[in-house]
Amino acid sequence: MKKLLAALCVLCAAAQPQAQDKAQLDKARAEGKASFYANITAVEPIIKAFTADTGVTGEYTRISTSKFVATMITEFEAGKLMADVVQAPLPVLDLLKDKSVLASYRSPAAAGYPEWTRKDDKVQIFGIEYVALIYNKEKVKAADAPKRYEDLTLPKWKDKIVMPNPANHATTISWLVGLKENVFKTEAEWRTFLQGLAANKPMFVASFGPTPAPIESGEKLIAISMPKYIVTKAPAPLDWARVSQPLMGTPRAIAVASKAPHPAAARAFIDYWLSKKSMEMLAKDVGEYVLAPGIYPPIDGIKEAKVIAIRELSDAEIQKWGAEFKKIFDVK
Amino acid sequence: MNSSRTKLTWLLIAIVGALTVCPVVMLVLGSFSEGLTAFGHFTVDKYVAAYTDPGFYEVMVNTGIFVLASSLLSTLLAIFLAYLNTRTDIPFKFLFKIISIIPMMIPHLLFAVSWALLLNPSNGLINLGLKEAFGLDSAPLNIYSMWGMILVEGLLDLPIAYLIIAPAMASFDVALEESSRVCGAGTWRTLLRITLPVLRPAILAAFILGVVRSLASFAVPSVIGMPGRVHVLATYLYEMIATGFATDYGKAAAVGMSVLVASVTLIVVYRALTAESEKFVTISSRGFRPSVIELGTARMPLFGLVGLLSLVLIVLPVAVLMYTSLVPYSMVPSAKAFSMMSLKHWSDVLNDPISLLSLKNSLFLAVVGATLGVILSVFVAYVIVKVKTRAAGILESLSYLSFSFPGIVIGVGFMWFFVQTPLYATIWALLLGYIATYLPYGIRPMSSAFIQIHSHLEESSLVCGASPLTTMRRIIVPLLIPGIVSGWILMASMFVRELTLSVVLSRPGTEVLAVQILRFSEDGLWGKLSALGIVMILISTTLVVMATLVGNRFKAVQG
Repeated sequence: MKKLLAALCVLCAAAQPQAQDKAQLDKARAEGKASFYANITAVEPIIKAFTADTGVTGEYTRISTSKFVATMITEFEAGKLMADVVQAPLPVLDLLKDKSVLASYRSPAAAGYPEWTRKDDKVQIFGIEYVALIYNKEKVKAADAPKRYEDLTLPKWKDKIVMPNPANHATTISWLVGLKENVFKTEAEWRTFLQGLAANKPMFVASFGPTPAPIESGEKLIAISMPKYIVTKAPAPLDWARVSQPLMGTPRAIAVASKAPHPAAARAFIDYWLSKKSMEMLAKDVGEYVLAPGIYPPIDGIKEAKVIAIRELSDAEIQKWGAEFKKIFDVK
Repeated sequence: MNSSRTKLTWLLIAIVGALTVCPVVMLVLGSFSEGLTAFGHFTVDKYVAAYTDPGFYEVMVNTGIFVLASSLLSTLLAIFLAYLNTRTDIPFKFLFKIISIIPMMIPHLLFAVSWALLLNPSNGLINLGLKEAFGLDSAPLNIYSMWGMILVEGLLDLPIAYLIIAPAMASFDVALEESSRVCGAGTWRTLLRITLPVLRPAILAAFILGVVRSLASFAVPSVIGMPGRVHVLATYLYEMIATGFATDYGKAAAVGMSVLVASVTLIVVYRALTAESEKFVTISSRGFRPSVIELGTARMPLFGLVGLLSLVLIVLPVAVLMYTSLVPYSMVPSAKAFSMMSLKHWSDVLNDPISLLSLKNSLFLAVVGATLGVILSVFVAYVIVKVKTRAAGILESLSYLSFSFPGIVIGVGFMWFFVQTPLYATIWALLLGYIATYLPYGIRPMSSAFIQIHSHLEESSLVCGASPLTTMRRIIVPLLIPGIVSGWILMASMFVRELTLSVVLSRPGTEVLAVQILRFSEDGLWGKLSALGIVMILISTTLVVMATLVGNRFKAVQG
């Protein structure tokens, strides 16, 4: 009898969250839709799957990073914020949090994520916008690809490199500072690397988006870019340099908006986004580096790479280092 | 008569003012506000920070060279093409007209990328050909330079200049040239002493519009200037807003104010230079007939020259786009590249619901927006040219307000404004924003045409008892058909590829083509981007052909 009662208790306990989930989902369905503000590539299949699986319509508004904070704050202050869920690099969400644009929500779907991904009860980190050295594997043999970041300063790469402008591209600035803090032993070594890289006269473009094309076409041979392009630009002859040092990138995070027009739908969307199914889609189809345990993008060797999140730089720091890199790289 | 003109002037000032002043006022507020929005505590810090930057002055010198040279190039090319097309017996005229306005239809980003593929120093196709042909060790040409920027921007601004100069040239009274010849002047002397001076308003208008456009241009400085480390105002502003995550558009607006002041000054100078507009009248009540000059033996060589110009300057970049849309990734043409060609990018784009919705929205905005814009432009141009009061001057300056602001900033001004209204995030916000910003595209060709219509025609109609509206409908508008067609084409083509406002104002359900193209560009998906770009060019071409045919039909009906 005791055993039966205990089994009943366990069943009831298990059924309670399920009942809660169902009630939550019913509420989300009643709200109708979840509006998702982000600037992330090719996530439409996840939005579509969310709509199909939950019965709540997912709606994606893509806003360029340079306009993201301005748009969010303008809408928020005018009482017209249409976002339910916000996804962006971590520094952006921290800025929005400071302006009270984000609400508290801890998703049960993030339970298996590493502890460091839960900074507080508002923001959940789910991926790293990882940067690597991407080269044209038809023009460069794997054996000749850099083995360390310092190899980029070798004369053989002169006029062969493309990278986002280090004077203003925030992620590149953060990445270069990340090298100082995580890779080089001393600041002097780091500065020598920067000067060597600058001496090789890299071609600058506005962001990571335009970096793969010159590599694919052979205009340049190697890029400071993102491994995800190996997936999204297949069958382009792209590969990444297996450097002995860690790969680094800015954390990507997600949160519910504080005045979300559809709060239950927002929570349902975040639960779905952080689920294994969505993260697998993000890794497999878009090549993103996600933090859900055991899920990796289908890029040879990435599973073995050490990928770390770089420190969030404040805007003042980004501007300070941008000005410094402007001098080092002779950006007029 | 005067009272109705005054009422019309003030009514138009109210309409145009409401459209163009609001976003600029928001930007002025933002430039004097602490924080990231338009409503913060008063500060002048943003101006101090913007104008004390030591790099600012070098950027201004580069900007001056870039805008003046590219505007000069576009104006000279436009005069050359317009003269051949409208005044001579050069063959295949219709084709030439289409070719000369094609750059207008290509998204600027794509046009600049095409030129980078042709003339980059590493493996640009033209450079590879020249190296092969002349056995050179290094690439002879480098597009990533100031001259590369001038060339590409000049070509992009050519259609605007052409569509302003061509209607004026089409309405030219041959009697002036004949008198010159009777007095013993040759063709060149007549061209330099009679034709071009009489066309001064149109030429100046084209040049000034080119200056204003290249000041606001971002695609060419970004794709060609940035890799060559040649920075102009647009990339300077980009650097200002892109460094960091909390973008301060107020500071960018503070820099934009100097562009605004420069543009308004140019308009004042233009008005002063064309103040005695009676001098430029060529269609009066004494009869007018545009005539065709026989090129004689120069006919075919000139046709060959223009054909070559069109091939190198326009057909080649479009061919690059077509090629890019067929290969799986960015590849130099080779046997391998041709063997890998497929319609995959086309299929992806044509089956993508957002791309299809963007297409529908852009088409709606182009047709409805350009039609409304042209109707407004007819009245505004009439007042600007025919009502020579201070209020008319105010109206002209107002019509340039949003247009003069750097594109990278004006979109945010509109967002700050529309968010205060129920129009925010609707297609109507885009429609109004487009008309407000690109009003000069409608007004300029119409003004050039109005200048050449003598007030005797209007006065004769009024004396015969027709109302001002009937006079406008029966006398003025039929004579304005070339200007109306030009204005409509300029506006519709612009609206099909408009990006700067759309990227800020477009939301789910109101996506437009240029924003979708930007998404592909941000993701480095050049194949899809090229496919959608070609769809955009096809739409614009269809609109241009339709507008031209309707214009011709109207002219035929009017007899």
